[in-house]
Amino acid sequence: MFCYQCEQTERTDTASGCASARGVCGKDQVTADLQDLLIYTLKGVAQYATRARALGAGDNQAGGFTLLALFTTLTNVNFNPTRFTALIAEAAETRARVRARYEAACAERGVAPETLTGPAVWEPAGDLTGLLAQAAVASVLAGRETAGDDVTGLRAMILYGIKGVAAYAHHAHALGYERDEVYAGVEAALDFLATDPTDVGALLDQAMALGRLNLTVMEMLDAANTGSFGPQTPTKVRVTPVKGKAILVSGHDLKDLSVILEQTAGKGINVYTHGELLPAHAYPLLKKHPHLVGNYGGAWQDQVKDFSDFPGAIVMTSNCLVEPGPRYRSRIFTAGPVGWPGVRHIADHDFTPAIQAALATPGFKEDAPEKTVLVGFGRDAVLGVADKVIEAVKGGAISHFFLVGGCDGAAPGRNYYTEFVEQVPQDGVVLTIGCGKYRFNQMEMGDIGGIPRLLDVGQCNDAYSAIKIAGALADAFGCTVNDLPLSLVVSWFEQKAVAVLLTLLALGIKDIRLGPTLPGFLTPALLDALVEKFALKPVTTAEADLAAALAPAA
Amino acid sequence: MTTTHSIRLTTRDGVEVRFDCAEDEAVTAAAARSGLILPTLCGSGGCGTCRAACSEGAVELGPHSATALPADAAARGEVLLCRTFPRSDLVLSAPFDRAHILSGDLPERGATVTGLERVAVNTVRLTLLLDPHEELGSGADFEPGQYMELAVPGTDIRRAYSIASAPNWDGTMEFLIRLQPGGRFSGWLAGAGVGARLTAFGPAGHFTLQERGLTPRWFLAGGTGLAPMLSMLRRMAEWGEVQEARLFFGVNRDEELFAEAELSALAAALPVLTVMRCVRQPAQGWNGFTGTPVDALDHALWENGGTAPDLYVCGPPAMVEAVRATAARHGLPDGQVLCEAFLPSGVGENVPAGG
Repeated sequence: MFCYQCEQTERTDTASGCASARGVCGKDQVTADLQDLLIYTLKGVAQYATRARALGAGDNQAGGFTLLALFTTLTNVNFNPTRFTALIAEAAETRARVRARYEAACAERGVAPETLTGPAVWEPAGDLTGLLAQAAVASVLAGRETAGDDVTGLRAMILYGIKGVAAYAHHAHALGYERDEVYAGVEAALDFLATDPTDVGALLDQAMALGRLNLTVMEMLDAANTGSFGPQTPTKVRVTPVKGKAILVSGHDLKDLSVILEQTAGKGINVYTHGELLPAHAYPLLKKHPHLVGNYGGAWQDQVKDFSDFPGAIVMTSNCLVEPGPRYRSRIFTAGPVGWPGVRHIADHDFTPAIQAALATPGFKEDAPEKTVLVGFGRDAVLGVADKVIEAVKGGAISHFFLVGGCDGAAPGRNYYTEFVEQVPQDGVVLTIGCGKYRFNQMEMGDIGGIPRLLDVGQCNDAYSAIKIAGALADAFGCTVNDLPLSLVVSWFEQKAVAVLLTLLALGIKDIRLGPTLPGFLTPALLDALVEKFALKPVTTAEADLAAALAPAA
Repeated sequence: MTTTHSIRLTTRDGVEVRFDCAEDEAVTAAAARSGLILPTLCGSGGCGTCRAACSEGAVELGPHSATALPADAAARGEVLLCRTFPRSDLVLSAPFDRAHILSGDLPERGATVTGLERVAVNTVRLTLLLDPHEELGSGADFEPGQYMELAVPGTDIRRAYSIASAPNWDGTMEFLIRLQPGGRFSGWLAGAGVGARLTAFGPAGHFTLQERGLTPRWFLAGGTGLAPMLSMLRRMAEWGEVQEARLFFGVNRDEELFAEAELSALAAALPVLTVMRCVRQPAQGWNGFTGTPVDALDHALWENGGTAPDLYVCGPPAMVEAVRATAARHGLPDGQVLCEAFLPSGVGENVPAGG
């Protein structure tokens, strides 16, 4: 096992990466090796798929499978070796089908099919022992001896970016939104990695291409979310319990939440969102359900306590799942890409087992005193008051915007983000995305001329909304985004954040402050390159970074 | 003053727990003092539930049953945690997951007998409906393969029985109980009927299904050792699991066979399952396998050309040891043999909660 895909990976003075029997996230060696092998097989699918698509024989079913399969390998998504054994077999079958399509398309056009190597022709063993014996070929460190750390790190960054893109695209796919160009982009990136690339320039180009692809994907997901449930509108969300039976829905998947709301209607069960589903309350066609009563708990890393205390059923629709505690292991359910050994998985959107669990568990015995937070400042809501915002900036009422967003995590250094927001000057406005907001979203920050000083733009994928807002402000002021009084302070944890970071870099956005620690796969040389080209800055202290952000440009 | 040593125990799923243990206290007692209730049952070296491997350090083993820890296993460095007294810092590997280490007492549930029927010459099926619990709700919540401790009403004596039903949210639990002449719980059952009340403690135990890819699961049950297997197989059927499954169900005589309807229903609901009934001393006309489940296993392993299976074993201690020996002879790694042995008669009285 070797994995350094997330922020919490083990670190020493000289190296980063989880390489023991069990990673920091709880992923064991068997599962980690199987995940590597799944990705290796998916590269083989992509080798044929990208060539078949070029001949007009694209296979979007294979594309959809690839998105889901990649999603299972993100941090805190799936820990179940049985699921990975089955997915590897399914990937090999998919590869055979896509290969046949490619060869048929070649025959139709009278061209000779390329003879592909590597993942295209690798044969997975038929049992677990055999698969584990094959794992070395698929390690993220494979070939490092000859390629070196920088190239290995760049390959890893691209792979993790692909995973992030796949996760977002899968959420859109779940709502019936897909695009050929997205499948083509994912296939091309995996095919590129299958060649074991060593040219640093080509690797950086691919990373930027992935960033651009992710912008397309986030735009598609935005269209899927708003197209399915209406544009986000500012909404007060209760964050304290209501008396009664309860289901808690966690993860990011609005489709699963909507199905659960429909299936629980009239059953006397209150539905709560958790973590990154908080923004769901802002979508008109979700908040119309009266039994969507509120949000419960903190960010994902608090879940063992929060879920233990929650007196109902829990459904995990995507990351972040950590090992379920014994007090709730039987009343937590996984859906979609998520899995944990011995935890009931719901694969068909029939949430009856979770509903039964909710009815059999005690529920909340009484109402807690009401407390709310405000969400729903997606691009429609913010741009709807753009005139007011621009006027406030021009009039000097707003001096600076801070986009403080990304993932939360357990690392102590993440207090930085709380401290940063606490110290934002009174004429500063904070926009936030992702679950990092739980570090400060219950602060009373007031407003500036009716514009709240804390604007919750949504989930991490709503980085798209934030980009549109920044672009519109830049247009209004006749400048570039880099010239706006806007500072980006990003917290990263997993691979979707890598994809978003690549998007921001691909858009030419500079001076991003990234923390709480830098990715383990970024070598000093790669970091130097990113600092030089994009002025990427590791976070230091809240005081120093805030002072630097507010200092007049030299 | 007693010398204290550091204990480093790694669970099956790779989680490390650490606590201190004095030389005059057992590892399980020291863990409990630190708020970690390790899975044990008899607490007196009799059942083998807490058998673990010691890879570093010196121990003194207290008195224990040779079936719970045979001499050759002890020679390999295996220990019974409830009988392990450290003489240095210890590094231990446990055969259970972190989630099986409880904190605090076992949950207590009142229950009503809703069914009690004799299913074979010496076996009854007991069905309970658990009272709703203020915190746990009304469900019967456990991992297939786990057991409950049922208290003999009017006494503080508890007996541990594996749960035969699958976890469910309506609160029912089914047990298969072999009647023991002179047994305290058996004696109570003789006079009990539908509507009788008792108290159940649990669930507990770490004899549970392991997720190891598509590795086949072979289940070996001796007599009422069928109960945890039924629970596991029912779970597999309910969840639509696809691992190849074989059940070797053994009794001594034909008339001791039971659960025919349940096994037929399982075979229908779980297409990957094959059931082999094994009778050691059958009457004339028996057309099933003659011999023990261990004999049947031996044949099946010789004939098996595919992936080496995980073995789930529940039955008398001698049968469990025979399975271990057979598995070893066929080259199956220890980690692929998961066992739950019946308690010897008398062991388990006054079982402390959680231990």
